[in-house]
Amino acid sequence: MRIRKGNRDTREFFTALGFLMPNFLGFAVFGAGPVLFSLVVSFSNWNLQHTVPFRWTVLDNYIMMMKDKAFWMYFFNTVYFMLGMPVAIAGSLLLAILLSQKLRGVIVYRTLFYLPCITSGVALMILWKALYNPDFGPINTIMNWALAKLGINHLLILLGGKAVSAPQWLLSTKNLLAMSVEEIKMTLGQWGLGARDALIFMGIWVAIGGNNMILYIAALSNVPQELYEAAEIDGAGKWAIFKNVTWPQLAPTTFFIVVMSFIGGLQGGFEQARVMTGGGPAGTTTTLTYYIYVKAFEEFQIGYASAMSWILFMIIFAVTLVNWKFGARELNY
Amino acid sequence: MKYVFLGSLICLLCLSLVAWVIRPAALQEGKTALVWVCDDNPVRREQVDLFNQLNPDLHLLLDPNNADMQKVIVQSIAGVGPDLFSSYDGIQLSAYVNSGIAWDVTEKLAQSGIDVENDLWRAADPTFIYEGRVYGFPANVAVNAIWFNKDIFDDNKIPYPEGELTWEQLIDLAGKLTIFEKDGRIRHFGLLFDFAWVQQFIKLWGADIYTRDGARCTLDSPEAIAAVQFMHDLIYKYKVAPSPVQESAMATQGGWGTGVITWFGGSRGAMAMGGRWWLCLLRKYEKLRLGAFAVPHGPARKYLSYGKSVLVNKFSPRRDQAFRFLTYMFDKPYNDLVNHQADALAPVKKYCYTQEYLHDPEYPQEDFNAVWRDVMNYGEPEWVSPYVSGSVVYRILTIQLDQVKADQKSAEEAMKAAARLINEEILKNLEQNPSLRESYRKLPGKEKR
Repeated sequence: MRIRKGNRDTREFFTALGFLMPNFLGFAVFGAGPVLFSLVVSFSNWNLQHTVPFRWTVLDNYIMMMKDKAFWMYFFNTVYFMLGMPVAIAGSLLLAILLSQKLRGVIVYRTLFYLPCITSGVALMILWKALYNPDFGPINTIMNWALAKLGINHLLILLGGKAVSAPQWLLSTKNLLAMSVEEIKMTLGQWGLGARDALIFMGIWVAIGGNNMILYIAALSNVPQELYEAAEIDGAGKWAIFKNVTWPQLAPTTFFIVVMSFIGGLQGGFEQARVMTGGGPAGTTTTLTYYIYVKAFEEFQIGYASAMSWILFMIIFAVTLVNWKFGARELNY
Repeated sequence: MKYVFLGSLICLLCLSLVAWVIRPAALQEGKTALVWVCDDNPVRREQVDLFNQLNPDLHLLLDPNNADMQKVIVQSIAGVGPDLFSSYDGIQLSAYVNSGIAWDVTEKLAQSGIDVENDLWRAADPTFIYEGRVYGFPANVAVNAIWFNKDIFDDNKIPYPEGELTWEQLIDLAGKLTIFEKDGRIRHFGLLFDFAWVQQFIKLWGADIYTRDGARCTLDSPEAIAAVQFMHDLIYKYKVAPSPVQESAMATQGGWGTGVITWFGGSRGAMAMGGRWWLCLLRKYEKLRLGAFAVPHGPARKYLSYGKSVLVNKFSPRRDQAFRFLTYMFDKPYNDLVNHQADALAPVKKYCYTQEYLHDPEYPQEDFNAVWRDVMNYGEPEWVSPYVSGSVVYRILTIQLDQVKADQKSAEEAMKAAARLINEEILKNLEQNPSLRESYRKLPGKEKR
C-alpha cells in the first residue's frame, strides 16, 4: 500500500518527537527552566527566610552588586587564578609534542599524565594540602634545604638584603602581585607566595596533563606529514618547522582551548575553596562561584545570588565573543 | 558484544540480589517511622535506640546525610523534609524560624508540664527560643573549661593546677609547658584554643557582639578589642599557643582549619580550652590522664555557654509523634544517658546534681565533672541580632580574624573593620526590609545608632 507523503512526514515527525521528547523534557525541566527562573528571580529580593517580604526589585540587585566591594574583590580573585592559564596551555602543548614522539611505552606516559584528570578532585586537593604544609610538606622541605645548603640566605644578607624563608602557602594572604587583602590595590607588604599562588600552581599541574594535552595530541596527529617533509626539503630547522608548520596547524585547537579555558577559569575555584581553604585565609581564595554559593545557600539571598550568576554569565559571554572576534581572525586553517 | 550485555545484566542482577539481602529490616506493622537529621556518631545512635525502646509504637531513624541547614529548609518547604532536625546556634534557629519550617511548641511544652524557664540550663536558649517563642528542646548544653594532660604535668614535674587561676598564672604555667624539640619541632604547647571561638573571650572580657537589642554591632568596643588582642598575644606575645603555621605543622593534612581536640588527644598540648563533650573523643585515647579547671575569668565572670536543640518540622504529617521526642529529652533516662556519654551536659539542670553525674561508676578516673556544672552557672549564651544574617556576620568576622591570627592586622583595626561592615549590613537590611525597619523603629532609643 502506498503511503501518502504528507502522512509519512507527519508520522516521521511524531516518531522523531517521541525519541527526542525524553531528552527535551529533561533539558526543559532541569536545564532551561531553572536558568530562566534564575533570571526572573534576579529581579527580585527572593530570600529563603519568610520574614523578608517578597518584592520585585527590578535592577536593585544589579546596582547593589556594582557597589558590593566583596563582589569585585572575589571577581579579582577569579581573574587572578586565571593567570596560570597561559602557562598551563603552553605546558600542555609541550607535553603533547613530547608524547607525540615515537617513544617506547608512550601510551603508558600518556596515561600517567592524564591520571590527574580521572582522579577524584577532592583526593587531589587533600594531596596538595599535604604538599603545601609549611613545616613538613615536601615543597617547603626542599625549599628550606635549598635555602640553607645553597647559601642563598647568606648571599642575600651579604648583599644587604634580608634572609627569606619558605612560603606559608595556604595559610598566607601574600601573593605575587602584592595585592591587598580587602581591597583591589597593591600593598608592598603583601608581596610573596601565598594561598592564591598555591592554588594557581596546583591548577597548572592539573591542567597540563589534562584534556588540553589530549586535544593537542589529537591535533598533532592530524598535521599532514607532507607539510613536514616539504619543510625539511626546504631546509627548515626544528624551530622553523614548529613556528611555520605545527603552530599554524594547531591554531584551531589552541583557539578552542583558550576559549574553554576562559570559560572554565571564570567558573572555577569552587572545589578548591570548599575543600582546601574554605575561601580563606581572609577571603583570598574566594572566587565568584564560591561567593554565589555562599550568598545563595548560606546567606539565603537567592535573588542576589541569581543576579551574580547572570552577571558572571554575561562576563563569560562577552569574553567568549571577544575571543571569537579577535581569535578567529587569526585562524587560517 | 551480546556477551558483554549479557554479562552486565547478570552482574546487575547479582548486585540487586546482594542489595535485597542486606536491605534494612522492614518497619513492624503499627509502628510510625520518624526521621531525625543530625550528625551521626555512636552517642547519637544510643540516644535514638533508647527512644525507640521507650516508645514501642515509634521508630526513629537517624539521617546524617541531609543535616545541612540548606537541605533541611529546602526539603521541608518542598514537603519532603525530616520530622526532626537539629539547631546548633542562633543563626540556624533564626533561619529555620524565618523560613517558616520550625514548629512553635511553646504551649504544647507548657501543657506537658515542662517549665522551660526554670527546669533547663539557659545555655541552649538561642538554639530553640526565638523572639520569646519556643521552637524545640535542647539536646545538650555546654560551657568550656581548661582540660589538662596529667602526664605532661608529671613529666615536667609541675603540680596540677588547683582552684581558680588568674590569666597571669595560667600564662606562666603554659609558658613552662610550651616545649620544643632540639630540632625546633614542637613537642607540646602550653595552651591550645580555637581562634574561631572569639565569642568566648569577648564574653570573658565583658563585651558582646551586639547591643542587647541587636541593633548595633559592638565588636569595636574597647573590651572586645582587648579580648581579641589577648587571643593574639597568647600566640605572638606569650608564645604559649600555636600560630597558624605551627597548627598546620601539627595537623596531619595541613592547611586551614584543623582540630584542637585531636592535637590535645595526641599530647600536643598540655592544656586546652574545651567542653565536657570533648570526652566523647578523648575517652578513645586510652592512656590519656585528664584533669580540668575553670577558665580564668577576665574583667567579667561571664562564660560563653552553648548547646544544641532539636526542632520539629512544622510541615511534617507526623509532627505530634515527633513532639514526643522533645518530651523524651526532658525525662531522666535521656538526661542520664547524655551525662554518662559525656555528650556535654544534660539539658535539665537537676540531673547534673546527682552522684551519677559526679562519679560515673564506669569512669571512676573522671573526677572533674563538677567543673563544668559549676561554670555553667555563670554561662551566658550568645544571642543573634534579628537585623543581620548570622552567616553574613560569620563571613565578615572570619575574614578579619584570619588576619589577626596570622599577625597581619591589629586586633583594633580588625574589630573596627568588622563592626563597621556588620553595621553597614544592618543598615542595608533595614533599607531593604520594611518589616525589619518597623521593628527597628519601635526600639527604645538608647541602644540604637
